[in-house]
Amino acid sequence: MPAVALVVALLAGCAAQQKAPGAGGGTPGVTDTTVRVGGVLTKTSASGYSTKDAEIGARARFERANAAGGVHGRRIEFLGAEDDGQDAAKGDAAAKKLVQKDEVFALVPVHAPNFGGAAFLEQQGVLWFGWATGPQWCGTRTGFGYNGCLAPKKGAGSQTWWGRQMAELLGGATGKSVYVQTSDSSGSKYGGTTISQSFTAAGFELAGVNSGLPAAAPPPDWLPYVNKIMTSDGGGPPDVVVSVIAGTKFNVGLYAALKRAGYRGVLTDATSYDTAILADPAGAEALEGVIAAPMFEPFESTAPEIAQLKADVAKTAPGTRLTQHLAIGYWAADIFLDMLTKTGRDLTRERFLATGNGSYSYENAGFGRIRYPRDHSEPNGCGALVKLEKGAFTVAKSMKCFENVPLR
Amino acid sequence: MILGYVVSGLVTGAVFAVMGSGLTLSYAATGVFNFAHGAIGFVSALLFYQCNVAAGLPSWLSALLAAGVFAPALGYLLHRAMFGGLARAGETAQIVGTIGLTIALPALGLLVVDVSGLPPADATSLPRGIGPHPAVPLDVLGVRLDTDQLITFGASAVTAAGLWAFMRHTPYGLRMRACVDRRRLATLRGIDADATSAVAWMLGSGLAGLAGVLAVPVLGLDATAYTVLLFASATAAVFGRLRSVPWTFAAGLALGVVQNLVAGYTDFLEEITGLRTAVPVILLFAGLVLLNRSRERVAGSAAEDAPPPDHLAGVPVWRRRLPWALSLAALLVFTATGPEYYVGVAAHGLVLALIFCSFVVVTGIGGMVNLAQAAFAAMAALTCGWAFASGLPFVVAIALGVLAACAVGMLVALPALRLGGRVLTLATLALALLADQVLFQVDAFSNGTIGWPLPALGFGFADTSDPRVRVVLLLALIGLVAMLIRNLERSASGRAILAVRSAPAAAVTSGLSAPRAKIMLFVLASGIAGLGGALFAISKGSITATDLPAAAGFVWLAVVVLQGVRRVGGAVLGGLVAAVFPELLAAWDVSAHVGAILFGAGGMILARHPDGVLAQLAEQRHRRRRRAGSRATAAATVPADAARPGTPSGARDDGPEAVAEDRGPAGGAVRVRDRVGGAGTPVAASAASAASPSPVASVEADAGEGVFRLEGIVAGYGDVTVLRGIDLAVRPGEVVALLGANGAGKSTTCAVAAGDVPVTAGRVLLDGADVTAWPAHRRARAGVVLAPEGRGVFPGLTVEENLRTWLPDPGPAYERMPQLAARRTVLAGALSGGEQQLLTLAPALVRPPRVLIADEPSLGLAPLVVRQVFEVFAELRRRGVALLLVEEKATEALAVADRVAFVRLGRVVWSGPRSEVDADRLTAAYLGVS
Repeated sequence: MPAVALVVALLAGCAAQQKAPGAGGGTPGVTDTTVRVGGVLTKTSASGYSTKDAEIGARARFERANAAGGVHGRRIEFLGAEDDGQDAAKGDAAAKKLVQKDEVFALVPVHAPNFGGAAFLEQQGVLWFGWATGPQWCGTRTGFGYNGCLAPKKGAGSQTWWGRQMAELLGGATGKSVYVQTSDSSGSKYGGTTISQSFTAAGFELAGVNSGLPAAAPPPDWLPYVNKIMTSDGGGPPDVVVSVIAGTKFNVGLYAALKRAGYRGVLTDATSYDTAILADPAGAEALEGVIAAPMFEPFESTAPEIAQLKADVAKTAPGTRLTQHLAIGYWAADIFLDMLTKTGRDLTRERFLATGNGSYSYENAGFGRIRYPRDHSEPNGCGALVKLEKGAFTVAKSMKCFENVPLR
Repeated sequence: MILGYVVSGLVTGAVFAVMGSGLTLSYAATGVFNFAHGAIGFVSALLFYQCNVAAGLPSWLSALLAAGVFAPALGYLLHRAMFGGLARAGETAQIVGTIGLTIALPALGLLVVDVSGLPPADATSLPRGIGPHPAVPLDVLGVRLDTDQLITFGASAVTAAGLWAFMRHTPYGLRMRACVDRRRLATLRGIDADATSAVAWMLGSGLAGLAGVLAVPVLGLDATAYTVLLFASATAAVFGRLRSVPWTFAAGLALGVVQNLVAGYTDFLEEITGLRTAVPVILLFAGLVLLNRSRERVAGSAAEDAPPPDHLAGVPVWRRRLPWALSLAALLVFTATGPEYYVGVAAHGLVLALIFCSFVVVTGIGGMVNLAQAAFAAMAALTCGWAFASGLPFVVAIALGVLAACAVGMLVALPALRLGGRVLTLATLALALLADQVLFQVDAFSNGTIGWPLPALGFGFADTSDPRVRVVLLLALIGLVAMLIRNLERSASGRAILAVRSAPAAAVTSGLSAPRAKIMLFVLASGIAGLGGALFAISKGSITATDLPAAAGFVWLAVVVLQGVRRVGGAVLGGLVAAVFPELLAAWDVSAHVGAILFGAGGMILARHPDGVLAQLAEQRHRRRRRAGSRATAAATVPADAARPGTPSGARDDGPEAVAEDRGPAGGAVRVRDRVGGAGTPVAASAASAASPSPVASVEADAGEGVFRLEGIVAGYGDVTVLRGIDLAVRPGEVVALLGANGAGKSTTCAVAAGDVPVTAGRVLLDGADVTAWPAHRRARAGVVLAPEGRGVFPGLTVEENLRTWLPDPGPAYERMPQLAARRTVLAGALSGGEQQLLTLAPALVRPPRVLIADEPSLGLAPLVVRQVFEVFAELRRRGVALLLVEEKATEALAVADRVAFVRLGRVVWSGPRSEVDADRLTAAYLGVS
């Protein structure tokens, strides 16, 4: 039908309109005065999960670099981030768009749990920086997680910092039991394995790992799960409950139900470090006393790097609430800039990749340290703990790095 | 412990129960299964949250506004804009329309939130419940619950009681149940079915809204979670057989308990990821297969998906193919010259187009709606990846993938096909969710979240890493599939399926049985989807379990049906649109929500044009041509037509065919074409022209007050004209017998008189007032009552309730017919045929109508009962009722008739006093000779 012709014409029209960039032969996205980058985030999703703040973090970091004259005379031209809608196929399309149409030099920040563009970027040799929560990052040449690969394969290094930081905080792990709650999906179960190992490596005794929680939506009734936890340690409650479930609603529901059932032990998870939750009285009540485990130096820290982060964000987007995703975007951009600086003025993707994968090492109080190519296959092993006390987060343990142990 | 699980499970189940009741109620009353029921719950919850947080209203008031005002209003709005039209559309359009709404409605809500700068409704928003916040814990029966849970349970108990009272003890409830039982009959009893549907939608939406608000403190503002809630509620509704609200309610409560027990006691299932999450889905599948076997359709909406007429049939082949050839050429030129990125987009569109071709097979030809197409594609792609990683050659791996998709298709089709329509759709939905939640979670199969990498497919000189190669390869494959589909349509089994689909009852009587052919189609479609899935993986370079989520299948279906699902062209266009559209939105920097809204809004278009955009274009072209053509014909034939006013010239195109409409028990239309032999035609024509002046003259003479008259009625079904100028008059206290052979148009005359079939020309007069435009229920209220062919009772209502549909107080009816009084609480369906006919006529004796039209009242009755029935007619005549009696068997009718009219080929060929009827006239009327 003519309609097909219309579609083709629209495509051609789009193509013609976008023909402008990419003139000039050299490295895509690099001119004498600019380096073009863009990111892929899960800005919107059906579940409401959103990492959109990473865009602000990255922008804040790039703007400081540009204010300081750029890197080797090149300003960072930040196109912002595409939205993958937590859909792998859309993420793949977004990566193709950035590389083929927008002709970016590299993808910064990539922070999308279901990112689907990995195979394409690896094949094209385009570098991507972000939070490597999924196995699609691991074992690649081109995917640079700001704190390494968080989904190591069996036998590769797996983190112990969470357990060890917790042991230090509680004054030793001996005789203390830990219960790990995950949800019923293979990703969450995998998290349960690595985190159980982190705690047992630190000397905790494993009271149980449960993966019964429905993955798609919080259970309407927490009773069966709470009952299991409350009787897991020889009929009594464990000393520590680790929640490996994504989503504030899950954690708030679980903690509120545990507290109702009389649980008085330690609650810890990786996602509750979010001041937005405190705005809600029920959220604040459920999370009171929770020890969250961010993988970056907490915003409450007195480290100069954090003061700098706050200043950068205040300059770019005054009044922005500081969130985990914002920090991830910021530190991913920071590592990209450091690698760019170390590559030198003569910039091609090949030279950039050679720098990144040639015994690259960078330490920063903000995220600990990162070493590539080692961290393509294991996490950097660093993390911090914050505690929610009387409605405010306080630093329980500052950022510290520990040795990884092979994943069983 | 177990008591605790049961008690708190009942609380959980209360939400399923409320939502499921709304689903069952609206489905039973309107025939539309609303997949968007969860979405209505979500937007209500969103409004509740915004009223509470942004507007600062107290929570009880917010809840009242969201569930008590907004949700019913939304239900009414959707009824007007969409559901009303869908109820008359085919099943495919119904399913796709409401699925479109599922996509569009939450997106619309979130867009409004974004645009108007309201507090964000993302994962950080923690909506509160109706009760105190934070919820206060309480001990009930030794179980620790909180105030929100108690409010949930209380609200559902009140809802259950209220619903029961509403349905059993209010006239609205009675009307709704009458509509559920026999919709057409209800309108003939003066019940405004449209208004009743509106009430049902408002009530159903209100229940969805209530469930949404009750669930929001647990689920959060997560549209996915509400879709999951819908599946659980659908399970409850299926266990209520999509018909019984009390059973649905009970099933919802039980489901909550079952979920708790499974969570509490089945740790041994932990190894199989997702299995326990999938318990409602497994129950849904089991419930569908076990409980919903061989049920006839519940509501009396049109079920058949007769294909639309091929408006391009008269166009030469080259002209039909020209636009496609030009488009193909344009696409190839673009592929050769366009930039790589956009050629990649086109290639992606063609991958989708290939997958969409499977919809053409399964939906376009087979008339089945499959929501698991994404699961079939993912199944093939993952199998292909797994096989290739295991060391098999690439081509073998692809073939294995396609075979795997076929096998799964067979597995679903075998148990589900006997179930038909919506049940099959729900079964495929259950399968899609099972695949997502359980099968694709098996690490050995999907390689965890990383999936399988796949190489490019090489052809020696080029490989598929180049999008140009992909475009050409895909075009070739789509061409092959198109040829396959074409051959299939022309094969014996293809024709058999089309026949079964267009008129199931007629096909059964012709000895056509489709299950085997349908299974073949289903498997073939799965294979095509599988091939598309494998190519999807190849062009992406990898495949993971989340690349082709079940929800993608819903969007695909909406897109492809919108373009037209009966032809490959629609699939190709749909694929390109699905790929290009997001590009355009991104290029124009429009929110992704807008895309979802537009794709979803296609559902509303579908409610009006169920055959898609392409068919719509062809029809417009056809109309334009025909208008131009008929203007020319009209000019030529004006003198001839002027002799018979009210006969439009267009009606003459249809040739010498009489078509009678014969409504089956299910309310569906089965067309019986009654072709008059060539030899009879001239005779009939001459008879008609010779006889036609006489009835007109006699009617003119009788014209007066209190007369029910049909004047020059032309009416039919769709393009088929049945009545070609009927003139009739009935006076108070007079019995007019309408006689004629099978297919002469008697039943259609009755239907037109009662307002059940619209007229294309002519007038219906009551007391001299033109009531032509009045719908059936309004005519019934004005006293024009049709006792339809078969039995005019609601089999699912009791005798008492049957009488109450027409009589405010059934007491006098029992006095007249004591045999009914003895059985007042018995379901009318359990009465004997004679008792049913008496029940049909009893209300007329108590409250005589102005005009009673009885269509074949003696059909299938014992002689004794027939006599009783005709005694009733005699009494009604004495009391001044105008009676129009339609009978095929002339003897009884002639015994009571004052006047007689003979119908033949849609015209009254003779009418006059009873005394002038003799054997010759009868013979002439029935045999068409004179």
